[in-house]
Amino acid sequence: MSNALKINKGIEEGLRDFLEFLLKSEKAGAVFALKKMNGKGAVSYSLITDTDELKDAVPLYPLMPVNAGKALSSFTLEGVPEKPVAAVLRPCELRAFIELVKRAQGSLDNILLISLTCGGVYPLKSLTDGNLKKLLSQYWESAKKADIDPGIRDTCQSCENFIPQLADMTVVSLGKKDLDKECTIILNTKKGEEYAREAPGSIVSEEIETAETKKLKEKRKEKNEKMVEDFQKDGSGLKALIKTFAACLGCHGCSQACPICYCMLCDFDSKTQEYKPVSFSSELKQKGGLRVPPGTIYFHLGRMSHMAVSCVSCGMCSDVCPVNIPVSTLFSIVGASLQGMFDYIPGRDVEETVPSGTYKEEEFVETGEYSGSG
Amino acid sequence: MNSTQKDKNAIPDKGKTLPAKEGVNKAITDFLKQSLEKKCFEAILVPVKVLDTESYAWVLLKDESILDQADPLPPVMTVQGGRALSSLTKHGEIKHKVAAVMRPCEIRAAVELFKLKQINLDNITLISMDCPGAMPLSGYMADPEKTKNTFTKIMEKWEENDSLRPVCQICQRFSLPSHLPPSPPLSSADQNDPDSSASDLHIGLLGGDMKQIFLIPASAKGTELLEKLDLSPQDSLKNWESKVKEIIEKKIKKRETFNKKWLAEIKGMSKFIEAFDECLNCHNCMRVCPICYCQQCYFDSQTLKLTPDEYFQRAEKRGALRFPLDTLFFHLGRMSHMVLSCVSCGACEDACPMSIPVAQIFTAVGDQTQKDFNYVPGRNKEESLPLQFYLEDEFCEVEVPSECEETAIGEAK
Repeated sequence: MSNALKINKGIEEGLRDFLEFLLKSEKAGAVFALKKMNGKGAVSYSLITDTDELKDAVPLYPLMPVNAGKALSSFTLEGVPEKPVAAVLRPCELRAFIELVKRAQGSLDNILLISLTCGGVYPLKSLTDGNLKKLLSQYWESAKKADIDPGIRDTCQSCENFIPQLADMTVVSLGKKDLDKECTIILNTKKGEEYAREAPGSIVSEEIETAETKKLKEKRKEKNEKMVEDFQKDGSGLKALIKTFAACLGCHGCSQACPICYCMLCDFDSKTQEYKPVSFSSELKQKGGLRVPPGTIYFHLGRMSHMAVSCVSCGMCSDVCPVNIPVSTLFSIVGASLQGMFDYIPGRDVEETVPSGTYKEEEFVETGEYSGSG
Repeated sequence: MNSTQKDKNAIPDKGKTLPAKEGVNKAITDFLKQSLEKKCFEAILVPVKVLDTESYAWVLLKDESILDQADPLPPVMTVQGGRALSSLTKHGEIKHKVAAVMRPCEIRAAVELFKLKQINLDNITLISMDCPGAMPLSGYMADPEKTKNTFTKIMEKWEENDSLRPVCQICQRFSLPSHLPPSPPLSSADQNDPDSSASDLHIGLLGGDMKQIFLIPASAKGTELLEKLDLSPQDSLKNWESKVKEIIEKKIKKRETFNKKWLAEIKGMSKFIEAFDECLNCHNCMRVCPICYCQQCYFDSQTLKLTPDEYFQRAEKRGALRFPLDTLFFHLGRMSHMVLSCVSCGACEDACPMSIPVAQIFTAVGDQTQKDFNYVPGRNKEESLPLQFYLEDEFCEVEVPSECEETAIGEAK
């Protein structure tokens, strides 16, 4: 049981009230949250300093225009903010941010982390294909019942990590019948309790894991197993990879949108990877034909080997792919398997080091040992 | 217009022809096979189906058998051909004789990249064809079969069709790139060089009722190629020419209306901002643009990074600051960097995950800007890029009025 702040207003309005309290009381200098852009439903993350602007804030809006971990990284990359910032982000975004902090791409200092038990987000395409309105009307009904909303991203449907770790506060958004009437914010840390002091509302006791969330976890697990099974139906090996990435344009939008891919200049965009005329000639001679530009599969495999151990399965890569390649499905599956090998969960603990950056004398001995020159 | 130039812009009256009993694509691939057999080329760069999927990729091939999977005029544009050719030759001339078979806008992009020193055209023969347009990539990915059927119907009749990509619907440069009006007169000194034409050989699909294709030489390279091949001569290209002209006229009119509409729609800061409201800053548009060749885009560089304090200052000015920043700055910046060379290929719009009409906006602005510089991107290899060419009397209307008048008076005398 943890202490929780209960505000007798609908979940969205209640959270907005709390954020307003943080700004007005100057406990926070700014709020970092989703904000409405226009009347068409588009939202973007915003650094909000003015309480008037806060009226358009929609921190729980089920869309992810950019992974907030990436946005917070760009905010804190060059230093620590002077005033505290209250950031509202989804569990996978928080995990991404933690992974970036581990890689010295951001800082947790002076950031109040507010997350939520997450019902998932809709694909960004729902904004442009006109389906968003219809989807939005069902979102909170699914959330109340802690059901898997059929419209959410594939990776969200199979996400078992929907309860945030490391958040100072967690907004309860799943498995509560009266989300329309009350907003419950669980205070996970001392920092969280301090920020909530004197906030409007009452302090209650609340359990973060409930029968409903446990059931949802089971359902999502099943979905995940099915997703893996379905994906593997299409075969494996190089041929399956070629087919999966057949339509790839090489736009590298997946890498640009990926919160973990923080490199300023990706190796696969660098001169190193460009073929010289002689490379084209020799490959042409060998194979009779080759794809131009070359290196389509190599890019995806390379990116995978660089970041899959930290993949938080946020689904941004699939959302920005112009040719509908199920990038995030593949990366989630490979990521989970790789993370299992290293007993690593990205974003679980900021002190936990990235596996490929840690030397262990006894690791993977089953793959054989170096016997030395003797 | 002097006489040499007139000759240059005239459509050649002779070419070769090939029957297309089994469809236009088959006729083109047969022609390519023959040119491989006769060793006119050692390799061909052409769109090919990837394994047994419905996706297309550019393939550099030397084995004839791969040509059976080729589709010289696929229903969609995947990677822009100019980009593919740049990948192949940016580090120097390719050692084989290569034919690159591309849509006219891809040829034009290749010509621009040549001027920007991102393509080496030694050993490359550029083959263009009449292009009915391309279908939107997202629609094709969702339903390849249906999209292909629509495209086949469009190819049969060459009628206006609003299921084509918007920029294709108004494309008046869908045929032989260098010879077609309306083109302002060339300003460059090398206008008399026949090999400065954009493509070397053009495949005319119009005017033959889809029963035959015309092979039209557009440079000395093209003429030489046709001489080596075993093809029936074509004495008159009148049918092709009149059909092309008819479509050009229609498209020009449509394009004028289109440009007017878009320039009104993005006029002023607030309207421009609104057009790009949904931008995620993924930079896909830039990444697929054939003209955006920079290894590292300025807008992805360290220069634009801010400290938390600077973010705060900006936020406090307006009460809230959008993340990621500088979305609009990116589009305006990219526009100012490349729009003079924009060939309206539509790749940017196809790659936008938020369906922002990037190509339509860039086309409207591009047309206007190119007109101001009397420039047609990709028309001619020797034509200088406007920003690299000094003209003493240029834009005198923006100069100090008195000086401008003096020049005008001087000219009148």
